[in-house]
Amino acid sequence: MIDNFKKKFIEEATEHIQDLEQALLELEQNPTNKPLIERVFRAMHSLKGGGAMFGFEKISEFTHNLETAYDLVRNGEMEVTNELLNLTLASVDHLGALLNDDSSNSESVMAQNADLMKKINELVTAGTVKKKTVHNTIEIDEEINTKSQTYYIQFQPNEDIMRNGTNPIFLIDELQSLGNCVAIPIVNKIPTLDDFDPNKCYINWEVFLATESNINSITDVFIFVEDDCLLQVNLISDTNLLTNQLFLDKLEEINVNQHEIGIAQLQDFITSLTALETKQSNKGKDERISLSSKDQTISSIRVASDKLDQLMNLVSELVTTQARLTLYAENDGQTELLAIAENVQKLSRQLRDNAFGIVLIPIENMLTRFQRLVRDLSKELKKEVVFEAEGTDTELDKTIIESLTDPLMHILRNSLDHGIELPQIRKNKGKPAEGRILLKAFYSGANVILQISDDGSGIDVNIIRAKAIQKGLISPDAALTKKEILDLIFIPGFSTATNITDVSGRGVGMDVVKRKIADIRGEVDVESELNMGTTLIIKLPLTLSIIDGLLVKVEETFYVIPLSVIDKIYAVEHSKLTNTFNNVVVLDGEQVSFFYLRHEFEIAPFDTAYEQVIVVNYEDKRVGLAVDTVIGEYQAVLKPLGKHYKKQEIISGATILGDGTIALVMDTNKAIKQFANKTLTTEDHK
Amino acid sequence: MKEATKINSYLTFKLRDEIFGASVAKVLNILEMIKITKVPKAPVYMKGVINLRGSVLPLIDTRIKFDMGETVYTDNTCILVLDIEIAGETVHVGALVDSVQEVIEIDDADIQPSPSIGSKYKSEFIDGMVKIDNDFIMLLNMDLIFSTSEITLLRESSGDTQVEVETRV
Repeated sequence: MIDNFKKKFIEEATEHIQDLEQALLELEQNPTNKPLIERVFRAMHSLKGGGAMFGFEKISEFTHNLETAYDLVRNGEMEVTNELLNLTLASVDHLGALLNDDSSNSESVMAQNADLMKKINELVTAGTVKKKTVHNTIEIDEEINTKSQTYYIQFQPNEDIMRNGTNPIFLIDELQSLGNCVAIPIVNKIPTLDDFDPNKCYINWEVFLATESNINSITDVFIFVEDDCLLQVNLISDTNLLTNQLFLDKLEEINVNQHEIGIAQLQDFITSLTALETKQSNKGKDERISLSSKDQTISSIRVASDKLDQLMNLVSELVTTQARLTLYAENDGQTELLAIAENVQKLSRQLRDNAFGIVLIPIENMLTRFQRLVRDLSKELKKEVVFEAEGTDTELDKTIIESLTDPLMHILRNSLDHGIELPQIRKNKGKPAEGRILLKAFYSGANVILQISDDGSGIDVNIIRAKAIQKGLISPDAALTKKEILDLIFIPGFSTATNITDVSGRGVGMDVVKRKIADIRGEVDVESELNMGTTLIIKLPLTLSIIDGLLVKVEETFYVIPLSVIDKIYAVEHSKLTNTFNNVVVLDGEQVSFFYLRHEFEIAPFDTAYEQVIVVNYEDKRVGLAVDTVIGEYQAVLKPLGKHYKKQEIISGATILGDGTIALVMDTNKAIKQFANKTLTTEDHK
Repeated sequence: MKEATKINSYLTFKLRDEIFGASVAKVLNILEMIKITKVPKAPVYMKGVINLRGSVLPLIDTRIKFDMGETVYTDNTCILVLDIEIAGETVHVGALVDSVQEVIEIDDADIQPSPSIGSKYKSEFIDGMVKIDNDFIMLLNMDLIFSTSEITLLRESSGDTQVEVETRV
């Protein structure tokens, strides 16, 4: 049980730490931004509270110190300096380490702990000295009593609040510690004994608090129960009303009547009261700050990822079964059944899209790591680099995002290490001293494109060429285009870094990047201009398990061709396809090279008047694939062909049709590449 | 010492006129012939795929592996659904055989080592031989046979040049 809670805390804390890191990096760009400081503070506060609650005392203690520093920042008594940010970021890393072993006291961690704590305390002391002096001057001007303000706090916990281990009484106690406080419990909701559930909380509170603290300290008390209660905090007077006898009488009245008084009525009462009692001009109570949790409806929930996987599996099964129903209905011909089948098809398609939407997450989630990497590494390499990201709301399957982080880190490291030059060199080249790395994400059909570009030195094709010759990868007289030379960097064992640094060149190179991206059915491409910079383009599928395809037939076998690559379908006379020597057919007045699938698959030609040519996009060309018949659109649930067929690259998987027949899913890019290569080699042999 | 839990039951099947045995622990299922979907550009012994209760099962022509020519389908042709271990992973694969015979109990003591000379097949694929009545039954190492991408299991010295360098699938 406890372990469960701890696990949950670790999960949550990891998120808080991430959020903290993100906020700090943003704060660095914008050091006076109030909401950001609040965000930093909130994350720390949650960490501290959670840590203490679940026995992670070191985290709690450590965060407490950090929080003290940021409290000063929040109150404008300390500035966000570079020193503070560096220290905080180091602390964030340290918190991560603490989270992983809070109980074990490994020496290095403890030393780090002490060191960081000391530094933070130094900063804080420097800050507090200032604070003290500010404080004193205020106290000279005003009496404590007049400084107190009266707040009206309506606290209505949800019935289930105690389930989370919260005791509302403690919250009231905490309020009382802030100043002079009268708390009136409203008990009229307590049911009769028969209906009474001891696990539920039936009491609301009306709290009147006269305090010197500001409204933040009050809402902080409720920080952990924000979502479990209705909370309204209103400033009702700039004086301490709890010293006013008439006001206390009114409170007694509330207590007896057991009616929440409501802010409007209270305002009226206080206005009359102040007018009556002091006959002073009332400043107006317009500076009401209300924090209403009611408006904050829950916008997200946490779901275990294996539950999602299960959901995806079920949806996939449903889609397969639905295909069967549609097929049956069509054969059966009953109009009513057809209508039902159509409806089921529509619904399951929507359900599929929805379910897939759930597992898509914006790439934003991995950016923090990249920002941090660029920040730290550029400092280490003494380079000035800004990292920018565009289209961060672009969404991808979570498994894709997970497998993408490592390759992207590697690409970024390369850009930082080999791409961006030192400031002085950049100036000599007439470029701004500050380098720029841009991560751009956008949708392109059923794909997502990620571009990582830097404005660094670019890749020198001559060096690559020389290196490839030296390593025996190409022959010295090989005539290669620029693109072909650039593609050499993806060959295993190729690393151009002249001196292997700590940063990149750890023996893994771009070939690993390419392979990892290929594992998630992605493709990677490189473009580079000498002294202008390098761009890596990664093309990824949106999702891995269901594709929209076109069902076609070649002889007895069904194939699915992904709709995303299909441009157009033409019916072409049989003779035009078979009586050609260069595999080119004229379609819409345009010459299109094509592959006759029967021929490619070594099957005898089809004896018919017309055949279908499906024109697909291959790289930047249009290529035709001749098939026997086109059956129609089909949603294919991808199933692996298994290890035994791993080498058959032209088939990326299989899917089971409604009648139980298997259809093969064709990877047209790989297929065309393979057909084209074969044609080339046979020509060479001639 | 042999492991106490070792299963000594073998399923025997025929390829042409020869009888082979596979440990029953490896055989999940025996299917009658059903429709096979051919996969283009695959090696000749990879017959295609079949739909096994909603999942896709690759099918291997066992006769080609034993250099007996392609399987000729008869009423007795069967598919053995096997549980094969490839590099620590369990993979299901279907094996085409001419006919399934019976399940027999074999005492470990009766199993003779596969003869190092005189056998057509590479010895690593054969776990042993056993003589029942007048028939010799070859007990096969199914894991190895169905995970290698060698086209046939013939000894290289037997003069067959089809054998590729051994690479695991």
